[in-house]
Amino acid sequence: MNLGQLRKIAAEVVAREDVKYLIGWKQGSYGYRIAPGFVEDAAGAAELIFSPLCTANLATYLTLVEKLPVPRGQEADKRKVALMVKGCDSRAVTQLLVEKGIHRDEVVVIGCPCPGMVDPALLTEKYPETEETVEVKWSGDGFLLNRSGEEIKVPRDELLAEKCRLCRYPNPVISDILLGEAVEPWELAEDNGVAEVEGKDVGGRWDYWEEQFAKCVRCYSCRNVCPLCYCQDCILDRLNPTWVNRAVNFSENTSFHIARAFHLAGRCIGCGECERVCPVNIPLGRLNRKLAREVRDKYGFEPGVDPEAEPFQASFKPDDPGDFIL
Amino acid sequence: MLLNKDKWPEFVGRLAGKKLLAPQSGGDAVRFAPVSDGEVPMLDFKNTRVPPKQALFPQTETMYRFQLGTEEIELPQLDEETIWLGVRPCDARAMAIVEKLFRWDIDDPYYLKRRELTTLVGLACNEPGLNCFCPSVGGGPASTEGLDLLMIDLDDRYLLEAITPKGEALLDVTGDLLDEVKADAVKEKEKVVSAAEKKIKRTVDTEGVSAGLPGLWEDPLWRRVSAACLGCGTCTYLCPTCHCFDIQDETEGFEARRCRMWDSCMFEEYTVHTSGHNPRPTRRERTRNRINHKYSYYVDKFAVTACVGCGRCVNLCPVNIDIIEILRQVKEAL
Repeated sequence: MNLGQLRKIAAEVVAREDVKYLIGWKQGSYGYRIAPGFVEDAAGAAELIFSPLCTANLATYLTLVEKLPVPRGQEADKRKVALMVKGCDSRAVTQLLVEKGIHRDEVVVIGCPCPGMVDPALLTEKYPETEETVEVKWSGDGFLLNRSGEEIKVPRDELLAEKCRLCRYPNPVISDILLGEAVEPWELAEDNGVAEVEGKDVGGRWDYWEEQFAKCVRCYSCRNVCPLCYCQDCILDRLNPTWVNRAVNFSENTSFHIARAFHLAGRCIGCGECERVCPVNIPLGRLNRKLAREVRDKYGFEPGVDPEAEPFQASFKPDDPGDFIL
Repeated sequence: MLLNKDKWPEFVGRLAGKKLLAPQSGGDAVRFAPVSDGEVPMLDFKNTRVPPKQALFPQTETMYRFQLGTEEIELPQLDEETIWLGVRPCDARAMAIVEKLFRWDIDDPYYLKRRELTTLVGLACNEPGLNCFCPSVGGGPASTEGLDLLMIDLDDRYLLEAITPKGEALLDVTGDLLDEVKADAVKEKEKVVSAAEKKIKRTVDTEGVSAGLPGLWEDPLWRRVSAACLGCGTCTYLCPTCHCFDIQDETEGFEARRCRMWDSCMFEEYTVHTSGHNPRPTRRERTRNRINHKYSYYVDKFAVTACVGCGRCVNLCPVNIDIIEILRQVKEAL
């Protein structure tokens, strides 16, 4: 994608009277880091980038924004928020529309066709992060790293993020403005992560998740980063009654993770953010993808692809399979 | 004293009898885990994801147990002697800094009892991480503050320096494995430590910050630096000096316990009043508080910055909120 075009369009969008600000990606403070950018003017638009490091799903900010009470005599700011989205991010926006978490006229969607992101953990492991910012680009069928002037070409397969290996929607499913050319969807990889857990017997699966959940420190970064975890009153924050104790142990941690996964069944769009942000490396994507597959296989439902769809967990059909109900 | 690395397994064996924890990777993020009998921890790590503050300040601490409907309480038995092996100097320093708070208005029995039962064996950093900035906030890669014993890796041997009587006791039980320090080892230590200091690239300038921060209360910088904040607890839970806690009662049938558990000023409910009013209504106020607490309030109260420059919050923030960058902007605004 042409960065000049991106910045020009972004500047045009933020100049619009009906747009409050634009959320996109900008260079972070060092190394491979990318920071979400909240752009209000042309100078901010000139900092925007789109690169294989822009893994973050910015759709979470649509519902994360804190709305303070409007003082008496003042009008609420009803201008739109412009949002840059990749394919997966656009599915989050679509699912939010389906759930009426947001309304279509509240958002300007700027779609970025996505050739696939690098996995920041794999990248850091192979090419340790440096203090200087490192530019990473798509180049042919791979990635091009520019580390202090030294160019390194890395084959796509070596660094491609797991969520992208499993992605069927690299192009935004909705957008008001589309930047660049659509990309050709690629051949899907096997979901080895889910297969590894499925390959274990019940006891083995329990042991596996026990080990994973025991690590959890309950920072809730997985919940907060998730564009579809946006309940105003989360059961995890309730103190009276306390549905999930604040005590950090295997039992409470498991309650938390089961609640999180189940609330996302038929809603998770697979952006992989929960797993990316987890500070103790819990492979949360495996739980989400397993549930997504169950919903797809049993109900033929895929979240975040059709803005006119009925929300899966809020609809009923007489021929829904009930074989799991005792 | 000097310990030849050939004798490391034997040295670790001598520590048996007390509960021993050390950093372990197991193909995953490095974390402190108990060392089983006969196991020899290899100390090849940068630092653990979760700091060892849990040694003295567990994420969930049972204060006492009770039965609903009775007035009897049962205090927990804190009597297990524990050795934490491979604590980085920044994390040990953080424990010394936090101890000032737990000794402030009252002597906190839980924290101080655990400190009494715990021996902290440090390992100086020869290869500091990318976001380490300990020298900027009063520490260093071989700082001894808060430690009982410091180990410095001199390639084929460790230089062991006892800091407290507990550290000396460890040298006593392992005395026959150790050699006296000669001039060459002292020289080598100086070389290793100064090389490590030179590898630390990132810095913060704290001059005038503690006095100046309150004056920046309404500065636009807070909106800027907090815009992307997700409001999760990563920066605070993984911070070795963050020590905020909540106290809650948990019941199971008629069995109940009162616990103290980590809390985070980045959570919305942290300051929410019973009325529903929240004096820190958005992540702007919460971010401002986090920086003010570390770099101003704590300095006013205890004459030390409540940040040891371990870099965890910078490494692990999902949206690149970088405390070094925030402090740069604070300095600029002063």
